[in-house]
Amino acid sequence: MKKLLSLVLAALLIVAALTPALAESPVEITVLFEGCNVTDDAAVLEQLNAYLAEKIGVTVKPVWGTWANFNDLASNAINAGSDEYDVMFTCSWTSNEYAPYAKKGAFVRLDDPEDNLLDEYGKDVEAALPALLLEGAKTEGEDGEKGIYAIPGFKDFATMNCWDVNVTLLEKYGYTLDDVKNAGFYGWGDIFATVKAGEEAEGKTFYPFIFEGAVAERIVDGVSIVPGDANLLLSYYYNKEDVSAPGAYGTELVGKFATPEFEKFAKQMREYFQAGYIDPAIAIGETATDAWRNAQNTANYLISTEVSLYGYEVTTSEARGVQVAYLMDYDAPYIDNTSVQGAMMAISANSAHPVEAMKFLNLLNSDPTVITLLCYGVEGVHYNLNDAGEAEFTDTRTNSYSVWVNGVGNVTLLPPTKGQGADFQQKFAEFYGGSKKLPIYGFTFDTAPVQNEIAACMNIKEAYALTLWTGAGDVDALLPELLSKLEGAGMQKIVDEANSQLAAFLAQ
Amino acid sequence: MTAVSINKHSSRFHLRLNQISRGTEFLFALILGLFALLCIIPFVFVVIISFTGESSISSQGYSFFPLSWSLDAYRQVLRLGDLLWRSYFNSFLITIVGTVLSVTLCILYAYPLFRRDYKFRSFFSFLSFFTMIFGGGLIPTYIVCKNLLGLSNNYAALIVPMLVSPFNIIIMRTFLQTTVPFELIEASTIDGAGEYTTLCRIVLPIMKPGIATVALLTALGYWNEWFLCMLYVTEKKLYPLQYLLMEMQKNSEFLARNSSMIGASGAEALKSLPSQTMRMAVVVFIVLPIACAYPFFQRYVVAGLTIGSVKG
Repeated sequence: MKKLLSLVLAALLIVAALTPALAESPVEITVLFEGCNVTDDAAVLEQLNAYLAEKIGVTVKPVWGTWANFNDLASNAINAGSDEYDVMFTCSWTSNEYAPYAKKGAFVRLDDPEDNLLDEYGKDVEAALPALLLEGAKTEGEDGEKGIYAIPGFKDFATMNCWDVNVTLLEKYGYTLDDVKNAGFYGWGDIFATVKAGEEAEGKTFYPFIFEGAVAERIVDGVSIVPGDANLLLSYYYNKEDVSAPGAYGTELVGKFATPEFEKFAKQMREYFQAGYIDPAIAIGETATDAWRNAQNTANYLISTEVSLYGYEVTTSEARGVQVAYLMDYDAPYIDNTSVQGAMMAISANSAHPVEAMKFLNLLNSDPTVITLLCYGVEGVHYNLNDAGEAEFTDTRTNSYSVWVNGVGNVTLLPPTKGQGADFQQKFAEFYGGSKKLPIYGFTFDTAPVQNEIAACMNIKEAYALTLWTGAGDVDALLPELLSKLEGAGMQKIVDEANSQLAAFLAQ
Repeated sequence: MTAVSINKHSSRFHLRLNQISRGTEFLFALILGLFALLCIIPFVFVVIISFTGESSISSQGYSFFPLSWSLDAYRQVLRLGDLLWRSYFNSFLITIVGTVLSVTLCILYAYPLFRRDYKFRSFFSFLSFFTMIFGGGLIPTYIVCKNLLGLSNNYAALIVPMLVSPFNIIIMRTFLQTTVPFELIEASTIDGAGEYTTLCRIVLPIMKPGIATVALLTALGYWNEWFLCMLYVTEKKLYPLQYLLMEMQKNSEFLARNSSMIGASGAEALKSLPSQTMRMAVVVFIVLPIACAYPFFQRYVVAGLTIGSVKG
């Protein structure tokens, strides 16, 4: 009995001792990040939370998602209606999809006219981000009204589909970058032939042209992804001279494989493939990415593809030990919803602390201390600043605190990394500030009305697309076969639906 | 002398009762041998790949006869350091605690179901059997586990969802029905044993082979489990070895599939991921302990086929 009594008293004492502490303690919010590999965040959190607690009365409990559970963490929490994350990563290109989840009511509307969190607690975000970015984050909510449901990251938000050219190898055979540029995709036969013959004379198998099929088609034909069309069935042809002017088909969307442009592209690929310029490994889904990434990393290629970002040639040239150049053959990097909604942070509708979450997002996008601590870690532990003001990462960061920087927030607030130069972020921000909007900017294809047709067409497309993109099969036989199968599966209905949605969007 | 010659005689001209002809025996041996090969070859292949040089893989792909050998993969794995040993520890902890608890629950559930004198026998049989056919589905299960039971970022999340397996309960009950005669229970009751004495002193020793079978199945289940970890755990210090490997695999698959969306920053991430040979080396690390445990259990499993408490 005595024991019990003393236990009860002890418990009371603890409760009494904790109560005032609880009342004063800052609000803890749980934040889901993705694409990270973090095993030890103690040092970072100590500093970050002390800073945040003092500044806005918030502490952060991060959950470090990886690439492996990218599709699952947020989706599971949303589908289960759970309140485990106050702030969560979302984007437009995985099953953790921004637009559908916003429509489902999973996120808090940030610019709600009745309770405008963004105006009230997010002033600095509005100042720090280009207006285009927040505009691109607008999507339909549960009530059918357009609003901002997440803060897009200020990162490489404009698309640069580029040819990746191994200049060192090119110059070895007396060509210059201009030769590649002037000849264009349809005139590279001679260059390929010379380089292949030259390299193979040294006794190895060499494929000069090794690339990502889907990206090559986008570059050659001047095609962008249609937001919402996750299965790549549609194309929007933009104007290469001025990406914000109407393109070859005006503002019409077309079936990806049904245009003369595509046929011409596929036939040229077939020619290169038959001449042995293209590595057959990139035509097989399982080996493709490994094959072209590997060739790039070992500088064992002449021309490849890259969805590039500003200043990336510095990084790759250093890593591969050759001079790398990126050729973009349209006038300015373009913005579409896919790229703007590539990495965003949303507040969960189930969060008990939306105001605190917004205050945190505000700092995450405007305060260099916060984002640098989160992305790079603690100075002196995870990174050191050299004389040029560039961050050099330590082994501690590589091994135990690796964060996917682009998935966090406003990366232009970070110190540049080694080799980028002190004014990198400023140039970076200017570069992307000068990017142009596609005419269809802001449109997202709602696939729900043609769900069944899409499912059917997707399977057909999967069987043919890579073969056609890489020239691995006979175009004259495969392309008509693909088109007739797509026709049978209701492709036209998809195109019509998409176009009527787009027309309605543009009329607004 | 005579006996020997008779024996010789009979073995040459007559087949023993359960003996089969040389030809059939050869055929069976061949089929079983091929089957065994089918089981072993993939693992041998994994071991070979784990010792293959990375350059050999990029030039000729996976091969039984690689161009170059290297220990790099194992060096890389050992460089994981704490993370590796911690996951090893977690795997063992989860497997051992999980198996002990799960088998205990299984025995305690199966034993009453075997007792003919238990009134609610059919009801509880049905209750466990029902869940084999109708599951709750992923999202409801997730809600119950994570929100209701608080199974999130703790060891319980990796153990509790798999504790009760209706399949094992049915195995155990059937085993009891076929090996423990009800007369034995009656006899012990007459001799004055209480319920617990009957279970622990009389029935349990007979059940050993059954327990071993169920324990082996459960232990394998726990050792190979990674899905629970993916659903409920985000802290690396709780990862079992299987999920460590699964994560490496899924990381690179995800990056490869979405490379045109993630773009250049994904290429950076992809480069920092473990090589293919390293993943194979981790597979070797995972398989070895369970391969070592197998023969130990096997003794009981084989015994289970031949031993019963009452003959004839």
